[in-house]
Amino acid sequence: MNQDSYPPALICPSCPPAAGPAPVTTKGSNISFVSGAVPTTIIVAGLALAGYALLMTALNRRMGLVLLAGLGVLEILLLVLVGMIVARLIGGGRPAGLPTLIGYLIATPLVPVIAGFWGALERSRWGPAVIAVAGLVAAVLIVRLHEIWPVISV
Amino acid sequence: MSEPIPSPEPAASQPDSTRTGPGRLLVAVYGLFALSASARAGVQIATKFSHAPVAYLLSAFAGAVYILATVTLANGSPAARRIAVLSCSVEFAGVLAVGTWSVADPATFPDATVWSGYGSGYGFVPLVLPVFGLLWLRHCARRAAAQRTSMSQTRPECAEAG
Repeated sequence: MNQDSYPPALICPSCPPAAGPAPVTTKGSNISFVSGAVPTTIIVAGLALAGYALLMTALNRRMGLVLLAGLGVLEILLLVLVGMIVARLIGGGRPAGLPTLIGYLIATPLVPVIAGFWGALERSRWGPAVIAVAGLVAAVLIVRLHEIWPVISV
Repeated sequence: MSEPIPSPEPAASQPDSTRTGPGRLLVAVYGLFALSASARAGVQIATKFSHAPVAYLLSAFAGAVYILATVTLANGSPAARRIAVLSCSVEFAGVLAVGTWSVADPATFPDATVWSGYGSGYGFVPLVLPVFGLLWLRHCARRAAAQRTSMSQTRPECAEAG
């Protein structure tokens, strides 16, 4: 199948066909698609990180590279989400609780960073426990963000 | 937060430090609630204070108590431990009092505080947090007392310090 109407590179240069959004690539539909996928990914990643970290706590393990890498992935995802929400705000969208939303936008990306430093200082099983809290908090924050501004769909 | 000295700090390795072991987790959760409760109260008081003044002032009070508990638990000195016991006790009393008040008189709370419904909006973490805090502080006090007695001599008796 060749795609006559769109040059392939403009649709999706890296992903296989039929993965990305439907061929109706207006700007709005593209954003709403992404803003549903990223929050859901963050919730899944946060819960998975929390589960793994709790397992490490139960097994009496210390902080390791896997947990720090998981925090890094979570941080990148959160920064992507913050960027998307800021783009929405610049584009003219206004939630009812704007001050609260701005507070969340500032605080949310700090969660994995602070948890990483605080947990890495610990030389016992309680370091991973801190990371577990960070993963759970990230998931809860996404749900709260959705409540503050339903545009951020889950 | 800002400790530029790369050498292991002596306070962290002291057995009576309240911020290591399970205390690491406690301080993290207390810090989380300190931030969320005080930030939430700040926004609410700044933007719509007249809507639910009692709830917002109680949120601000809760935020202050959480900040105090976080700082004193992270510090861990004997004086800080006494203040931590006090703030955890105030916190526990506050959760019970505000929780009961919010159930008995919902009209006073058109908007929720951290402590209304015994912390039901926060997974009841506000209810169990001070209990764990007080248990941990008691454990640390006993450990410190046992260490003192064993250093002076004879039996490591569990004595309450504060």
